[in-house]
Amino acid sequence: MGKDNFLDTNIIFHYSNYTDTASKIIEKCYFFVKNKSGRFILCWAVLKELEEITKKRARFHKAIIEKIKDTTYSIEDSPLISFRDIPFAKQIYEKYKNKSKEEIEKLFQIERNSSELKIKKFIQFSIDERGISLNQIDGELINKIHNIIPNHADCKILASALQLQKDRELFLFVTADGKDLDPNGYEFLKGQFEINYSKENWKFPELLNLVYTN
Amino acid sequence: MVIKQNRKSSQQIKEEILSQLELQPLSVEQLRKNIKDSNWSTVNKYLEELKEDARVREIVSTDKIKIYQKIMGDTYFDLPITENQRKKFHSLFAMIFAEYKKRNKMPTKTSVAKCAVHVIDNEKAELKDLPIVWYLYGMVPLMAVETTTEYSEGFILEKRKEIQKIIIEFVDENGEKRSSQIQKEQHKRYNEETYVLSDEIFEILNKPEFDNKEILSLLSKFFIACPVDQEFLEIFDLTNSVIAIIQKMDLMNLSLQQYRKEILLAFDSLWKFIALYKLYKSRTEGIKPMKKEIILNFYLGGAIGERKRGIGESLSELNSIYFNKLADFDVDKIELSEDVKEIRKIMENWTGED
Repeated sequence: MGKDNFLDTNIIFHYSNYTDTASKIIEKCYFFVKNKSGRFILCWAVLKELEEITKKRARFHKAIIEKIKDTTYSIEDSPLISFRDIPFAKQIYEKYKNKSKEEIEKLFQIERNSSELKIKKFIQFSIDERGISLNQIDGELINKIHNIIPNHADCKILASALQLQKDRELFLFVTADGKDLDPNGYEFLKGQFEINYSKENWKFPELLNLVYTN
Repeated sequence: MVIKQNRKSSQQIKEEILSQLELQPLSVEQLRKNIKDSNWSTVNKYLEELKEDARVREIVSTDKIKIYQKIMGDTYFDLPITENQRKKFHSLFAMIFAEYKKRNKMPTKTSVAKCAVHVIDNEKAELKDLPIVWYLYGMVPLMAVETTTEYSEGFILEKRKEIQKIIIEFVDENGEKRSSQIQKEQHKRYNEETYVLSDEIFEILNKPEFDNKEILSLLSKFFIACPVDQEFLEIFDLTNSVIAIIQKMDLMNLSLQQYRKEILLAFDSLWKFIALYKLYKSRTEGIKPMKKEIILNFYLGGAIGERKRGIGESLSELNSIYFNKLADFDVDKIELSEDVKEIRKIMENWTGED
């Protein structure tokens, strides 16, 4: 049995989206989950984020359907999607604009529901421990992490991991985030905590970033 | 020479208070300002009396402010109408009942309501000031029809002859029809897609037997037709939550008919929520719209919250069914078409971050 694994949201989301044509990172996440070699730990901030992502994906699909229903509909101004979603939405719309709204919705519903089923099943049957509820997350700790990592949702998850790590053997913080949680960034974060909060004795889990593994 | 002014009687002041409250709930202070020759304690005293007579209710009561709402008692969610509108509604309803009576028929609430809408919506009737709203069973007058109430034509409507003609026309065409048919035809006539689809969904769910495909195709259309409102994105989110669970049950090869009761309950609670939203939209748009914050704070806010909770409860029933079945279901066996894979490919770097 390997070390315990504290899972980031992206591991589960990527796992749920695996297909035989998926990219390397999605494949890695899928097989990491399938070939489980240690206990899986999930915090409530991850559960919450998964819920949010699935909600946003349905909104994203609906925005494209609105555009297919009415070509004058503006994806850019849609209340259903955020700025970052626009290029993805445009690409899908361009590819499928000649399909009927019923056909495209059929594809979308299978896309999101098959992924959601995988997530639900994973959460229900593969998680060994759910730690740190949302109201247990240390707000000050979030702020300290937020000084270095800009994404607030990531900060909550990392804060949960640090709180959970305090009194136990070193576990792995498993992520597929190549941006905010790359090995250098993680080392920098640890260094900042050693400099600024050494008295608080925060213990960092060992980073396992699947983006940077073979 | 000093002209002695007649002081207002208590009855006059009470009438003025009620008339002011026809528009929206008001505080004692606001009423005092709006009613000439009155002071705070007079207004407060009469409000207390009106409260005892069940004509008004106190909806906010703090040390600093008391807000009163007029009790309508005959409109949906007690939404306000003026006395003049009430009289017109009574006359219109009385005329409709009389037309049915002439033919020895007792109309249903739905028939009267739909006939009233038919009249109000006809420009020749010149009754455009009477509010009509979309609610659970389609477009209805804001004043609810009661078959046990004796409506009288105390107020003669200006275009009475025209109105009579329109009523006769309606009863000739619909007198023999069942309420549900009149209702469905109205939904189609106004091209209200969500109403048309909800009629069809309820019809399937009330059949003793149905195929997964029948209901799924309608739910998919409902998802497509679902309104998107920036201020009420929950309408879409909750619609998706209900539909997604049913679709997932189908992906797990469950026979939906076996869970007819739970699905019906979930869709019904969703529909009650959507219908309330439609009512809200009807009263905040069009002729003499009400202010959004007033309608939400004083009339519909509580019901909206309750209906959301209702959806949550019925969803937990459905969730527990599909969670129980999930253990035996191999999620990797769901076949994905090349198109679905392609969509996944495009979405690979999508993280859902704002």
